[in-house]
Amino acid sequence: MLIPHPLLGLRDAQEFTYLGDATLLNRPDPQSETADAAFHDYVYLRDNPAGVHRELWFHDAGDRSWLVVTRDTTTHEILGAELARDVKLGITA
Amino acid sequence: MTDLTPRTALGATAARNETIGAYLIEENTELGLASVAIPAETIPPVLFGLTLPKPGHLTLEIDGKFAIWTAPNQWLFATDGDAHQDCAALVKSKIAMAYITEQTDAWVAFKVSSQTSGQINTLLERLVNLPETATDTGKATRTNIHHMSVFVLRPTSTQVTFLGPRTQAGSLWHVLETTLRQQRANSGALS
Repeated sequence: MLIPHPLLGLRDAQEFTYLGDATLLNRPDPQSETADAAFHDYVYLRDNPAGVHRELWFHDAGDRSWLVVTRDTTTHEILGAELARDVKLGITA
Repeated sequence: MTDLTPRTALGATAARNETIGAYLIEENTELGLASVAIPAETIPPVLFGLTLPKPGHLTLEIDGKFAIWTAPNQWLFATDGDAHQDCAALVKSKIAMAYITEQTDAWVAFKVSSQTSGQINTLLERLVNLPETATDTGKATRTNIHHMSVFVLRPTSTQVTFLGPRTQAGSLWHVLETTLRQQRANSGALS
């Protein structure tokens, strides 16, 4: 499986480590009144879609960047990859 | 006073080198290294006349100094022949706004040189799972070789340098040595 690294081009998935759902980037505010419920959902609940899924991959044996990879879980087709930093900062979609 | 003798990463008193077929592998024990990271959204500084390279590249050598892109806003600065110097201090004297860490004894450098670029490409085909464009002349990138995380530097077409973790020096040398021996055996069998 090849991952299209936004800076380095196509790279073998062996260079990466998978973390999980990209919603992990959206950490709830621990100061909010609903923090308990929000953290319960954040830590334990995940969608498990059959189809397009956005997930976090770490370029472990490369430039050590975190990527948000969009992958179709039914075909394993990789539809795109962005730097997680850019996603978090709202620089890309 | 204690009389200490410095040892190389491979446990010898002198750098190792070996000729196998058309290739020469040389250990470079004289490479000073420091990592340089700058805050996001700042302009990369020019360091000893070196314009810090873009992703996947390394600079040409100026007075034995060169730089490798390692990550967004991060580079590895190298000074050949200066491993005994405090490389981080050297860099710190030139840039104020940067996070600089000495890396000299963290890595081993093994240079493989050959007569033709084709021979180096043939070796890289066996060693790294990367498209040829990622290891063209002027490129430097990090990847896996035999489960070791290694920088592959291609300063010239007939030369490639592998920067590997110092603790895995023996394993990395073994990979290069056995791959080249195998290549020599195969070319002998074919001719």
